[in-house]
Amino acid sequence: MKAVRIAWRITVLNFRAQLEYRTEFLLMIAIGAIWQVSVIVFATVLLSRFTGMGGWDSSEVLLIPATRMLAHGLFVLVLGRMHFVGRQIQEGRIDIYLVRPMPVHRHVQLAYFPTNAIGDLTVAAGLMAGALSRSDLDWTAGRISYLVAAVIGGMLLEAALFTAVASAALRFPAADYWSRWLEELLGTFGSYPLNVLPRAVGGFLTYGLPLAFVAYFPAAVLTGHGHDTGVPYWLAALSPLVGVLAYLGARLLWRWSLGHYAGVNG
Amino acid sequence: MAVLHAWRTARVTPLGELHTPPRITAVLLRLTVQVVLVASLWHGLYANTGTTAGLDVDQAVTYAVLAVLASRLRELDQYAGRDTVLQHMHFGTIVYWYLRPLPPQRYHALRALGEQLYGFVWALAGYGVCLAAGVVQPPVSAAVAGVFALSLVLGQLVLYFVMLVLDQLCFWTVRNNAAMLILIFAQNLLSGVYAPLWFFPDWFLTMSGFLPFQATLSVPLSLYIGRIPLSDAGGQLAIQAVWVVLLALFTRFLWRRAARRVISQGG
Repeated sequence: MKAVRIAWRITVLNFRAQLEYRTEFLLMIAIGAIWQVSVIVFATVLLSRFTGMGGWDSSEVLLIPATRMLAHGLFVLVLGRMHFVGRQIQEGRIDIYLVRPMPVHRHVQLAYFPTNAIGDLTVAAGLMAGALSRSDLDWTAGRISYLVAAVIGGMLLEAALFTAVASAALRFPAADYWSRWLEELLGTFGSYPLNVLPRAVGGFLTYGLPLAFVAYFPAAVLTGHGHDTGVPYWLAALSPLVGVLAYLGARLLWRWSLGHYAGVNG
Repeated sequence: MAVLHAWRTARVTPLGELHTPPRITAVLLRLTVQVVLVASLWHGLYANTGTTAGLDVDQAVTYAVLAVLASRLRELDQYAGRDTVLQHMHFGTIVYWYLRPLPPQRYHALRALGEQLYGFVWALAGYGVCLAAGVVQPPVSAAVAGVFALSLVLGQLVLYFVMLVLDQLCFWTVRNNAAMLILIFAQNLLSGVYAPLWFFPDWFLTMSGFLPFQATLSVPLSLYIGRIPLSDAGGQLAIQAVWVVLLALFTRFLWRRAARRVISQGG
């Protein structure tokens, strides 16, 4: 309880600190919105030019970017500071965190308030509302619960991927380079049915870099395309659980990597 | 002597990259995976479509792959070298730029030139491999290749000046993170990195016509794949040149104003 109170107080202070630079604050909200809008524009352009993508109609496809973007917005808000680890390592801040009583991971997450998450979440919520209103599905309590679980699972899976990169950066600071690429890949390939891709590429985006579990598989299960994803139905249906397990695994990796952290100066 | 100084300045970032083998491996892997993914995506999208927005599958794939390769031209991790204007403003070391015999504007331009030449080697090697593997189509004629090369150079100049404006913004705002991120998104979206601009609605094309971003990538790549015919190339090149001149004058003005804002410790 005390830890939650401290985390809340630091978050409030961080928020006030962000307000210190008003223009930067507003621009950061805009950046979140613009990033999400650019994903929407890309998806919309592809949907309008290539109808019937992968055997899905456009209202079904829309559920994929909506789920992914909402998961991404929550990730940015709650666990997104994993992006920042590379810079913290370079500036030697991890060394400072190590000698403080608070866990290093929590320190990293409380480093600053992610203002851009406000824009991210606003646009993502708008897109989700649009996707749900255009959907012909019967939104029963079961479907809604699964969608909520999918969004949380997607958030945790994205967090797991970035935590894994951050863990690698603790040992090899240059590994931070991968996080930008990861974000780009998630934005570009996470927003439409992956069955338009060749089987080998789809397999890579499922088992190599598991972004298919973030939104594609849950949306496929919800819209009745769960048997055409190229993986067993049960695996696609368990996507939210995959997110949870991946995050737990990533946190273990983080703990192990932190134990082997030597600092940039040796 | 000036040439020697220029060479030493320009090679700083490439040398830094060459001394970090994991980064080179990462770039190689990233480029390979990105090219395969992008080519697969566009082939998949065109599986049930003939020609759309004036582009057939070969043109679309060539455009998308060349866009990936072109993005290598300026994508070095300058932050790791602690030599971005943002970091210098943050740590107060920007003052050293004004104490050296080399003027800051020339230093900035030489660093960028070195980076772009280094990135060009990567892009050229990638292009050679993609061409040999049949992933991209060659230009239809020598004239198209020549016009594309000229347009690409002009596009890179426009891109340099746009990025420079963002760096110069730091002299007034201290921070430029958000503006830089917005610019990167705008650049990717409005220059056709995400998808060729020809797929976008007319209002989007009209809007981007008033901005410098399409001059950086969309114009050279459209010339390469033949979506902009050679007969229209003169006009497009002229627009690119106008952007270069306008942005060069604007950034020159900003350098002068920025110099007045730099103070060393103690005033």
